[in-house]
Amino acid sequence: MNGDFELFHVIWFPFAAAFLCYLAGKRHKMIRDRVLQFSVVLEMGLMLLAAYRYFGAGELEFIWKGFCMRGLYLKLDGFRLLYGCVAAFMWMMTGIFSREYFCHYHHRSRYYFFYLLTLGSTLGVFLSGDLYTTFIFFEIMSLASYVWVVHDEKPAAMKAGEIYLAIAVVGGLVMLMGLLLLYDTVGTLRMSELYEAVKPVMQEKGGRIYAAGLCMLFGFGAKAGMFPLHIWLPKAHPVAPAPASALLSGILTKTGVFGVLVVSAEIFRYDPQWGKLVLYLGTVTMFAGAFLAVFSVDLKRTLACSSMSQIGFILVGAGMTELLGTENALAARGTILHMINHSMIKLILFMAAGVVYMNLHALDLNEIRGFGRRKPFLKSVFLMGALSIGGIPGWSGYVSKTLLHESIVEYAAELSARTEPVLWIRGIEWIFLLTGGMTIAYMTKLFAAVFLEKHPLRQKEYDTKTAYMNKESVFALLVPAVLLVLMGFFPYGTMNCAADLAQSFLHGKTPAHAVHYFSFVNLKGAAISLTIGVLVYFGLIRRFLMGKDEKGDVCYLNLWPRWLDLEDLIYRPVFEKASAALFGYVCGLADRMYLVQIFLKVLLELSAFFCRACDHLMDAVLLAFRSTTHKSRTERHVYLIGSMFSRTLGKILDQMVRIVNYTIRRKNPIERSFVVTFAEWEEMMRRTNRLISASLSFGLMLAAIGLALTLVYLLWW
Amino acid sequence: MTITCLLGAAVLLPMLAGIMLLVFQDRLKNRKIKCIGIFLVMAVTSVLTVSLMMKGNYEFVLWELTDTLDLVMRMDDVTRLFAGMTVAAWTFGGVFSFEYMKHEEHEDRYFGFYLIVMGVLIALDHAGNLITLYLFFEMMTLTSLPLVLHSLSHEAVMAGLKYLFYSVAGAFMALFGIFYLYAHGAGMMFQEGGYLTVIDSYTGSQAMTLLVLMLTIVGFGTKAGMFPMHGWLPTAHPVAPAPASAVLSGIITKSGVLAIIRVIFYVSGADVVRDTWVQYTWMTLALLTVFMGSMMAYKEQVLKKRLAYSTVSQVSYILFGLSVLNEDGMVGALSHFIFHSAVKNCLFLAAGVIIYKTGKKTVKELRGIGKEMPVTMWCFTLVSITLVGIPPTSGFVSKWYLATGSLKAGIGVYAWLGPVVLLLSAMLTAGYLLPVSVQAFFPGAEDAVHRRQKQEPNMLMLVPMLLFTAAAVLLGMFPEKFLGFLQTIAAGLF
Repeated sequence: MNGDFELFHVIWFPFAAAFLCYLAGKRHKMIRDRVLQFSVVLEMGLMLLAAYRYFGAGELEFIWKGFCMRGLYLKLDGFRLLYGCVAAFMWMMTGIFSREYFCHYHHRSRYYFFYLLTLGSTLGVFLSGDLYTTFIFFEIMSLASYVWVVHDEKPAAMKAGEIYLAIAVVGGLVMLMGLLLLYDTVGTLRMSELYEAVKPVMQEKGGRIYAAGLCMLFGFGAKAGMFPLHIWLPKAHPVAPAPASALLSGILTKTGVFGVLVVSAEIFRYDPQWGKLVLYLGTVTMFAGAFLAVFSVDLKRTLACSSMSQIGFILVGAGMTELLGTENALAARGTILHMINHSMIKLILFMAAGVVYMNLHALDLNEIRGFGRRKPFLKSVFLMGALSIGGIPGWSGYVSKTLLHESIVEYAAELSARTEPVLWIRGIEWIFLLTGGMTIAYMTKLFAAVFLEKHPLRQKEYDTKTAYMNKESVFALLVPAVLLVLMGFFPYGTMNCAADLAQSFLHGKTPAHAVHYFSFVNLKGAAISLTIGVLVYFGLIRRFLMGKDEKGDVCYLNLWPRWLDLEDLIYRPVFEKASAALFGYVCGLADRMYLVQIFLKVLLELSAFFCRACDHLMDAVLLAFRSTTHKSRTERHVYLIGSMFSRTLGKILDQMVRIVNYTIRRKNPIERSFVVTFAEWEEMMRRTNRLISASLSFGLMLAAIGLALTLVYLLWW
Repeated sequence: MTITCLLGAAVLLPMLAGIMLLVFQDRLKNRKIKCIGIFLVMAVTSVLTVSLMMKGNYEFVLWELTDTLDLVMRMDDVTRLFAGMTVAAWTFGGVFSFEYMKHEEHEDRYFGFYLIVMGVLIALDHAGNLITLYLFFEMMTLTSLPLVLHSLSHEAVMAGLKYLFYSVAGAFMALFGIFYLYAHGAGMMFQEGGYLTVIDSYTGSQAMTLLVLMLTIVGFGTKAGMFPMHGWLPTAHPVAPAPASAVLSGIITKSGVLAIIRVIFYVSGADVVRDTWVQYTWMTLALLTVFMGSMMAYKEQVLKKRLAYSTVSQVSYILFGLSVLNEDGMVGALSHFIFHSAVKNCLFLAAGVIIYKTGKKTVKELRGIGKEMPVTMWCFTLVSITLVGIPPTSGFVSKWYLATGSLKAGIGVYAWLGPVVLLLSAMLTAGYLLPVSVQAFFPGAEDAVHRRQKQEPNMLMLVPMLLFTAAAVLLGMFPEKFLGFLQTIAAGLF
């Protein structure tokens, strides 16, 4: 561990505070809430301390070698400083707001624990100096923030959480693949070294680097809510508790944007191909988000879709930064400023939505209609956010959108100077303006619904509710609103400074001549958007998206067809059903051991056949011989007894007896066969003969022995 | 001499104690004394093993079977790694069993065989040539069989038979390889990096040698649950008592890995199989198993069976790491061995706690169980995250090495196919483990949380799980020393 420990304190403190907060929650709820608020304020202080060091000593670095193998590398430059401060600020404000908002919730200790874990990891992402560190904190952040999404544990929240977790895990692992490919190809993951490392191998291994870049774009883009991976965003943001939605929308999506910016600016710096890819994806995201938002009839869902759309604006800026090459100052500044604007705006808007929810426990526009009519504070705060995000001149969103618009115009001019086709970039410019108009339209819809229109039934009840938020919450809403106004009214003193501080992150230089935000050319763009916005609001929303319910009251209609949901239409069927079924079936086949079983069966059958064959071999050979060469002869008659003589004699006698039987002894026939009698006689004779000859020979033998003995006696004795 | 005595004691003490337990089954009425005794035996064995590990490398002939066949014991870094993990996991599993076996019958028989297998495994880890390895390998199969058979239900007996048949079939394939290698004068000793290429008769018979090595890999791979011989694993592991399934999955499957390491990297040498059909077949089988195991686990509903399929998949991560044949792959494989052992032991113990306390076996029944036993389910969740490979936990470290090893290996299409399959499998791992935790901790708003009673198990069960969890997480955060140790092993092999 070495380097500037200020950075390390910023990271470890929230992790420690998370455990502290959880333990305090076991003791007493009051202590826990105070510990939490104290922690987020202290974290802001730590971040400011690091910022103070930065302005004194320049860039800060912190290295923890060997942590999780490749080590942590934290870095503080202008952009990181700015975003670190934004993150800490947002946590501080939502932390202060949380105490009132959550007072009727269960499991608050659990929520705060993960709230602080996410704070630490989010700051880790923004302060990371190499992609490895980014990835580590990114994963912790993704998993920890899952708990926010499902905090309610209602079915809608569980379903949204499911898709959130799935996208987080899949995105993270795909990103890991990208990191591995990149590391294997260029041998470093440090952001400041990447450009130099990539350049020499780009010719040779461009394919691998693009593959790595796409994998990382997938991972970071999924977190940012980029089309077509945005599916989780309009679902997860509305179901989370409001302070959590503010953070999810305002800052967690920005970690994804941060990653996309790093990949674009460090690996594919000034690469028009890459720029175009990001630009197209950004354009689609921008338009699709606004389109969804126009149709939405839920306060937080509209805001979530709006987040998606604004992320699209930022991605357009990121794309333009690469397309414009070295002349990218406008795009770079616009991108960074729009990020900051969007964070602050969404902080305000979601907390305002939280105020509505904690009073009414509803978010449907038809139910919350008219809630803000007699509530000037809430109304003005919300209005600041709405005007800003709508890009109305005088508010901060106008500045950043103008810069982005200018960068598109500049690129179109550059293309026409090079006599290349400009139609597509013109088209994108018009989509940009159209989306700006739609932003104004859906924000008008929200504002009109909550703060101008009357609720058909409960308006009185709403108007009498004066104590709808406590002082802490007022403070939490007021501070960012004031900041936003300051930024919008004094762009040269505030936003230009911020842009100057941070633009080197995207390798933008201060433009040759200062941009006059309130010049006619720039105001024209805003005017076009405003006109479109009015047209969309009155021409589309009021005419087609509002109707009469059964009682005849005017209400907002949810015309968005439910089946037209990418998740239910494509992702779930394809991934959950089709691929799981297909691969599951294939793997099931492999697993059920059909292979081994069939092999064994065949082997057993074969060997059994072989052995049976061996077993029967000799028999078969014998059988073969017997049936061919050694066939047994069929004899006509076989006499078994007697000799030829006795048989003939016996037969003759038998014939004679037969004649006698037929003639003389008909009454008393002779039954026996002479053949047998003769055979017996013959046998007897033969036996007797043998006996005689045997005894004779025996006698002779004895006589011979006797003679021999006599002879021996005579000769020797 | 002292080494011989120490080693003898480390191997024989648990075996003798186990045999005593079997002989005097059910005579010892005082359970407490018995448990303390068993614990002491395991503790002393562990201490003896660790003190052996401190002694530096050695190799000696234990016994001459014939003039040419010796039983050789050997201590090197691989032995240290395997023996260390074995005694640690075995002791923790044993402590867990003291509580768990209360609700099973015939616990003396269980503990008897449990101790015997411990001795056999220590000997197996010390094996210094192929014949010694084979001897203890078979002995391990036979002595661990009663752990699978324990409940003696029809299912358990059939599973035990399946275990036996597969193991014996695998071991015979390996035995053929050992015969062949001995006939060519290899296998009498282990030497880092292998020595088959310097043997004269090798040059003439390369094709046959490759075939034999493939057979050996598949044969020993049976124990490691590698396709196509993995069928016994998802059947046998779930029927054993939970702590036994933990060590079966965590340690015994890894002895197949040890055997393959010894054959390929200490006898034949990596260069013999590099870039041959053997390497490609090996990689294909390993990757296929990785994917198939995860997919089957994803579709499985019985928790222990799901974990068993997960083992099939994860052990093949290790085999894949070995099969890429370079240092990074080796480090990835060895580290994944340790991490997976810790994780899978913990997961099975957690499943055991759930069965012991509630009797619930399928995943669907686990809704809200995190409210009843938060510590257990926290352990389960953390090690699940480890197994998926999410930083900063240890599974991430090993997978990083496995993937870089594969990318560096220069093995054509497998260079990127490997990481892609590992990635898909990691997604499936998340798909089959994380929903369990999610359901456990987020039962839904309508769930009557307040009516749930805390059912946290006692310390005998919690401490082993907590230790495994701590190892799985902390080794990922501070892996430097450990990875350095593995790198010295890997550096010697290539």
